[in-house]
Amino acid sequence: MKDDQQPISRKAFMEELERYRKGSVTRRHFLGVTGLGTAMAVMGGSLPRMARAQDIGNRVVLATWPNYHDPADFDAFTDKTGAYTQVNVFGSNEEMLAKIQAGGSGWDVFVPTNYAIPTYVDAGLIEPLDLSKIPNYDPASYDPRFAEAGTIDGTVYGVPKNWGTTGIAFNSSKTGGVVDSWKTFFDGARDQFDGRVMVHDYQLTTIGNALVYHGFSFNSVDPAELAKAEELLIDVKPHLYAISSDYQPSMRNGDAWLTMCWTGDGKQMNTDMPEIGFALGKEGGEIWSDYYAIPKDAPHKDAAYALINFLLDPEVNAREALAHGYPVADARTNALLPQELLDDPIIYPAAEALSPLEFGAAVTLTDPNRAELMARFKSA
Amino acid sequence: MRLYALAVYAFLYLPIAIIALFSFSAGRSASSMQGFSLSWYGRALNNPFVMEALWTSVKVAFLSACLATVVGTMAALALTGMKGRVRRVFDLAVQIAVMIPGIVIGIATLIALVTVFDLVNPWLEPLTGLKLSLGTGSLIGAHGLFTMSLVVLLVRGRMETLDPALIEASNDLGATPFGTFRQVTFPQILPAILAGFLLAFTFSFDDFIIAFFVAGAETTLPIYVFSSIRRGVTPEINAIGTMVMAASLIVLIGAQLMLRRSQARPRP
Amino acid sequence: MAMTRSRARALLLTPAGLWYAAMLLLPLAVVLIFSFGERSQIGGYAPGFTLEQYANLPARFAAFRNTLTLAPLGTLASLLIAYPLAYYLAVKVTPKWKTMLLVLVIVPFWTSILIRSYAWIFLLGGKGIPAFLAMFGLEDVRLLNTPFAVLVGIVYGYLPLMVFPIYVALEKLDKRLLEAAADLGTPPWRAFLQITLPLSMPGVLTGSMLVFILLMGEFLIPSILGGGKVFFVGNALVDLFLQSRNWPFGSAVAVGLVLVMLVTVGLYTRAAKRFGAGRDDAALM
Repeated sequence: MKDDQQPISRKAFMEELERYRKGSVTRRHFLGVTGLGTAMAVMGGSLPRMARAQDIGNRVVLATWPNYHDPADFDAFTDKTGAYTQVNVFGSNEEMLAKIQAGGSGWDVFVPTNYAIPTYVDAGLIEPLDLSKIPNYDPASYDPRFAEAGTIDGTVYGVPKNWGTTGIAFNSSKTGGVVDSWKTFFDGARDQFDGRVMVHDYQLTTIGNALVYHGFSFNSVDPAELAKAEELLIDVKPHLYAISSDYQPSMRNGDAWLTMCWTGDGKQMNTDMPEIGFALGKEGGEIWSDYYAIPKDAPHKDAAYALINFLLDPEVNAREALAHGYPVADARTNALLPQELLDDPIIYPAAEALSPLEFGAAVTLTDPNRAELMARFKSA
Repeated sequence: MRLYALAVYAFLYLPIAIIALFSFSAGRSASSMQGFSLSWYGRALNNPFVMEALWTSVKVAFLSACLATVVGTMAALALTGMKGRVRRVFDLAVQIAVMIPGIVIGIATLIALVTVFDLVNPWLEPLTGLKLSLGTGSLIGAHGLFTMSLVVLLVRGRMETLDPALIEASNDLGATPFGTFRQVTFPQILPAILAGFLLAFTFSFDDFIIAFFVAGAETTLPIYVFSSIRRGVTPEINAIGTMVMAASLIVLIGAQLMLRRSQARPRP
Repeated sequence: MAMTRSRARALLLTPAGLWYAAMLLLPLAVVLIFSFGERSQIGGYAPGFTLEQYANLPARFAAFRNTLTLAPLGTLASLLIAYPLAYYLAVKVTPKWKTMLLVLVIVPFWTSILIRSYAWIFLLGGKGIPAFLAMFGLEDVRLLNTPFAVLVGIVYGYLPLMVFPIYVALEKLDKRLLEAAADLGTPPWRAFLQITLPLSMPGVLTGSMLVFILLMGEFLIPSILGGGKVFFVGNALVDLFLQSRNWPFGSAVAVGLVLVMLVTVGLYTRAAKRFGAGRDDAALM
């Protein structure tokens, strides 16, 4: 009985089918070894087991961001399909792009942010999605603000994962209150929070928020404005605790008091340690949306579609949101989430708090001057 | 003096003790102790990606060490007592390979192979259906480059201390060149060859810097550890580190015992 | 006979030659070619011939400066800590314990440097040594993410490489020399300065060279223990290839690093020769 449940490979199945047709094995044997016997016996009741028969291989490789999934959901995916998920974590879109550009990344699914997708499309590195293989994706139920960047010139390259903001996480027991402006963030770093402030280790947000401090656009590539941002960053640098996108450990153990922070990380820390709060910079900052996408040279495309489809199942998606604390743009998923989560000011900030925020632009990602500025800042 | 030595050993082992201690934690945090449990060991051993990364690391380290030892020993044999331009070119190559920082080797190999593959694949793929990409091959090639050079240095150093009279005597007694090599030279350079092999294996097994650039889609154990650490250090990583160290300690002590026994045996 | 001998040599050298050509010569040639090229719009390499990348090298001046300060400092610190230990192992310890203690020096080397460096994050972070110091009234000591933390990580990571060559040199030392000196009434410290130290110089030079070379290309320890604030040339290279995807400039920086290394190591060997330390290529091992 146990053996019957083992999935049979496609090749072996065809061979058995051939033998059955030739009459060298009985129908009973054929149904037994191929597992069809069991499938027929339990037909109707257990569709997941049928899914096993559709051979997607035993692995899928996912490139994603830190603290962005519930590991239990990958176990559930393995139980359902037989495929293990290997999770590779990256710190920035630049890093993902560099790895994929060098070829042979080996990824099946990755999670680019809105502003990175045009670059992948231009470079021919990303696969147009066959939405018929992602039945769980229902465009109608998504807030178009957080879904539209996945479509370029009418072709869908990415389906929305989560959206969020880049704000400020602060340890109120040390900062003595809410920090909700980039002015306090950068000025405090040189004053009362000396040696306790962290900024991201990639140019987009670190330079972007320094620009916002001066009242410029988060996405500016204007040399004069960038020069002002550089001046600020280099002045602040000796007072920083660290330049790192992995800020949770330092915030949790109290070494750092203040950091640039993504929504979900803020929520995760706030849940475990209520003294750590999260606020949006009132001058502005970044709002973003992430997408599931498939690289052109993905080695396991069937498994890639299966994983994306699995993770977009509203029930799975809701479990994910409960674990990582990032907002979802899917109305079906939100309908499953508890009301206090939907009312949480960290996850779903009031509309007026969001209004000064900007989506990152494609040119912001690839601008060589911003890249060089970041390097000068880090080596200063 | 003794106190000083003790202090240095404490310095060397303090971080390791911490890793080992936290690996027994029952909680998820890798930097505090929350109860005692062996569960992280079970998890690490059952994690298919850990086992696969371990297997890749062992495979790459073993193959690159074998190749490097054989090719390096051959080169060292040829280079001993050799003069002229070829010798100078090889000496230079060995020196450069040993001296150039791993990060430069990693980057250079990455961009060179990616460029070559981009040129070759459009021709190769339609003809053979094969596509070259970074992976085990490039790892073995890049690791072996460095370790082969180490083997050359070790074996050549040993060759130069050999007594030429022994070889002459063997030749005079009518041994073929290969016979002389097998019966006289080889036993004498064997320790250097073995040392080279061990060094090569260790280097490749532990290397992160070069592998980080040239591994392509392959995951070696250090790469796995690196990407897990970015996902947040769990005691699972500490358990892996502790197991690798315990295993190497056993191997080292075993090798030591074997060496002692073979030394104790009277020479024929 | 002569003919077959040179043919045998050619045969023995061919595999190594091919390996060097494919994995050393070709990659270095590509780096050199790329360093004269241009960055393409989305990153990577675009063919061209320009000296712009080299002209831009001063933009990484700070990285070179940090590397050229912390690499010698780290080498020196390792040397100062390793020498007494090597001396103790070679001279003071009974043979019974010697092997055991030597093995104990290498064993940490077998755990990934990554994991060991992460252990230092805990030790140097607020809940580690600073909390310990606070018990003695030394409040608010900050160690992590400073050049000091990087230095500790470096010494920790490379200590065995320094201990071994010095140990080997001291082990070879003829103890009768010291006995003779003692018989002649030389005080121990003078015997050390006049006999032990000079004779252990080859080991000191080998170890220093080894550690120095490795430190020049280091990027892992600064990025783990320096919090992104201590920037080596290695870190600059990683960022250029793995973040901003500027291959031509990255290649130029790599060429710059190799040149700086050749010059410093060259100067070092010349100085070493003046010390009369014997053969240099042996010194590499």
